[in-house]
Amino acid sequence: MQSNKKKSENSPLLLKVDSISKDYNGVTAVDELSFTVEPGHVFALLGPNGAGKTSVMRMIMDIIRPDKGAIFLNDEPRQRLKRKHFGYLPEERGLYPHARVLDMLIYFGVLNGMARRTAEIEAIRFLDRFGLVDYSDHPLHYLSKGMQQKVQFIAALLHKPDVLILDEPFTGLDPINQIALREILEEYKKEGKLILLSTHQMEMAEKMCDRICMIHAGKKVIDAPLSEIKEKFNDHTYLVRADHAMETLHNTDGVEVLEAGSDGVKFRLNRAERIPEILKLLSAKHPVKLFQMLEPSLHDIFIHLIRDESEAKHV
Amino acid sequence: MYNMWHVARWEFRNRFRSRSYLFNTFISPFIFTMLFLLPLYFSTNQQPTGVKLIGIVDMTEEKNMADRLSSALERSYRLENQLSEYGIYTISIRNVPEYRELQRDLKDVQAQYDSLNRLHNRIKKERTAYFTQKKLPNRQFSLDRSYERLREVREEKELVGIELQRYKTAMDSMYAREARVIADSLILSRVLSAYLVFSPDFVKSGRVEYHARETNDLLDSERLEKTLQRLIVHSRLRALKIEPRKVRDVMRPIHLEKYKIRGRDEEEWNVYAQFYGPLIGVFLLFIAIFSSGGYLFSGLMMEKNNRVIEVLLSYARPLEIMGGKILGMGAVGLTQVLIWMAITITLTVSGLIPGSKSLSYLNFTNGFYFILYFSLGYLFYGALFMTLGSIFSNEYDAQQVNQLLRMVAIFPVLLSLLVVINPSSLWIRLLSYIPFLTPSFMILRIPLSDQPLTTDIWITVIIMTVAILLTIGVAARLFRVTMLMLGKKPTWTEVLYWIRRSA
Repeated sequence: MQSNKKKSENSPLLLKVDSISKDYNGVTAVDELSFTVEPGHVFALLGPNGAGKTSVMRMIMDIIRPDKGAIFLNDEPRQRLKRKHFGYLPEERGLYPHARVLDMLIYFGVLNGMARRTAEIEAIRFLDRFGLVDYSDHPLHYLSKGMQQKVQFIAALLHKPDVLILDEPFTGLDPINQIALREILEEYKKEGKLILLSTHQMEMAEKMCDRICMIHAGKKVIDAPLSEIKEKFNDHTYLVRADHAMETLHNTDGVEVLEAGSDGVKFRLNRAERIPEILKLLSAKHPVKLFQMLEPSLHDIFIHLIRDESEAKHV
Repeated sequence: MYNMWHVARWEFRNRFRSRSYLFNTFISPFIFTMLFLLPLYFSTNQQPTGVKLIGIVDMTEEKNMADRLSSALERSYRLENQLSEYGIYTISIRNVPEYRELQRDLKDVQAQYDSLNRLHNRIKKERTAYFTQKKLPNRQFSLDRSYERLREVREEKELVGIELQRYKTAMDSMYAREARVIADSLILSRVLSAYLVFSPDFVKSGRVEYHARETNDLLDSERLEKTLQRLIVHSRLRALKIEPRKVRDVMRPIHLEKYKIRGRDEEEWNVYAQFYGPLIGVFLLFIAIFSSGGYLFSGLMMEKNNRVIEVLLSYARPLEIMGGKILGMGAVGLTQVLIWMAITITLTVSGLIPGSKSLSYLNFTNGFYFILYFSLGYLFYGALFMTLGSIFSNEYDAQQVNQLLRMVAIFPVLLSLLVVINPSSLWIRLLSYIPFLTPSFMILRIPLSDQPLTTDIWITVIIMTVAILLTIGVAARLFRVTMLMLGKKPTWTEVLYWIRRSA
């Protein structure tokens, strides 16, 4: 049994959410949801407001229990695991306004199984990294909202959890601190730890996340690597910058001109294989300054998917 | 369960260092104690600063009540400089013109009456002489004539006597009326502290009127009542023709030495010390339970509203958080109780508590019971506060229930007089078995009871333990579900559903 445990400790981490459902007074918040979070990836849980993201995160954190289904970390049921394996940054930040910053971080560290002295050292290290070490003896309400946000983030990271659950981690952070946070998450990713985050900032998700799980009304809409999703939703749209390219494109079969602007002409092809042919045609007639394939943004995919889902549900 | 201690430590440390805790530990009990003791102290031990003037409206025939009362009060109540604490002032209306006119008329009628009386006596004397001197010439004629004159004079004397009585009655009623008017004005102008009205038959009826600006000046009225009681009884005994020496002997003051039976031991009984001590104890218990419970409650509401609770729930199990908070705040309350005990022991040993000889209930057994009922009460109310704190998201709603609980817990103080009269009456015993009231009632009953309450202590401890387990059970079931709910006031049906569902 001990060797099993050891084996499990050495094996790569894997968080498995298996058909979980949650019901609040007859309203289904999460419905038979399953996904897996693997190491070396940042997993994004996306969805509109009320989709059930926070409920899922709370279930992973064992703050609430699923009515059906189960959650496993390396095949070990969540309820049997110690909480110190998990770090959580809730959407609604919660800290003690009158407590001293360092005292509070030590308290949170100790609750997560750290020795008092270790927690103190780690807390000071993180405070230094986020430029807050001068405020360690200040009461929290003395700090600005952005600084409090960083303290909250330190509280989630301090005990070096195996699984990091972040609900809207970038809210309230300025661009510089967003970069600092991204750097830390990158380090975490490299260490083989699991990161699951939820955000409404699609640009950030696009930059940071490797795998996306989109949910709507508690149900999974899509769960795939970001590149795969982008490929799937690629509608063969291109941008060309060349003088009088618009006329040529208009007169070509299988080409739909979408938009013409100062940065060029945006058009859609009926078949991706025709790209060499079109490029040849355009270069023969005009000097082509730019030819670019336009990938759909996560923002557009999100809107597209959620709108489709809503319509389907409505019908 | 390891985290429970960390939560408890955090709660204890944060609360122990707060200003409100210091206030509740040192200032609130001091204020409460002073609120009880100062009026009592001033009413019994206030050093008189000057002579109080008591007016007398004396309608007796002897008109000697001023002297008698003055000497009686002087004997008993003196100032530090040995002067009498009370001066007696006889209210006079001699300067009132109507009274003076009436008095002049009365004098005339009295003179007339006296003259007729003298004449009547002289005629009677003459008649006696006529009667005894049998050889007197014209004796029969003289007797008949003197009889005729005697009859005439007697009739006239009777008529003047009636007139005299009428004048006297008129004067008495004028005196009674005018003297009161003067006395009232003297009281309003603060010349007199009070005045007494002695009716002509006050010795027989035992009724003396006491008029003062404030009739709730218990000290003066009690002293006057005691002195008058003595004077009236004295007069009654003298009226029975009892020798003055014997009267003095009979009137020797009685001192009642009060002892309270406690098994084989007896102890001196001082109603103030015995009653107010336990009452202060109940208030201290109330402060300890409700300040700790209040901290628990407000802390929980704060954590719920600013969402710290979600962070905590991600770090520790709900039962660990709940247990840690109850333990931490319990330690806060217990420290408070121990500080009070240390202060009480220090004050008792150093003799700074006056009359501490009568405070035999300040012993270690009762100290143990205080801690026992504090712990039981705190755990019960703490779990209730925990339940309420987790159910309500709106502080206003929760505070209303909190106020209700406080009112229920302080209810025994309202019945404290009944507890003094009979701490083991059926009703008091039954009320002690209601968990909401148990701690306060038992803390009041234990020192006031004549016999050890061992049975009741066991019964209440069992009842409280069961109640605590039930309340903690309900709190634990609700805690996980309700702590993350904000902005919605749950219905009781929903609460019951959550309790059943968590089972």
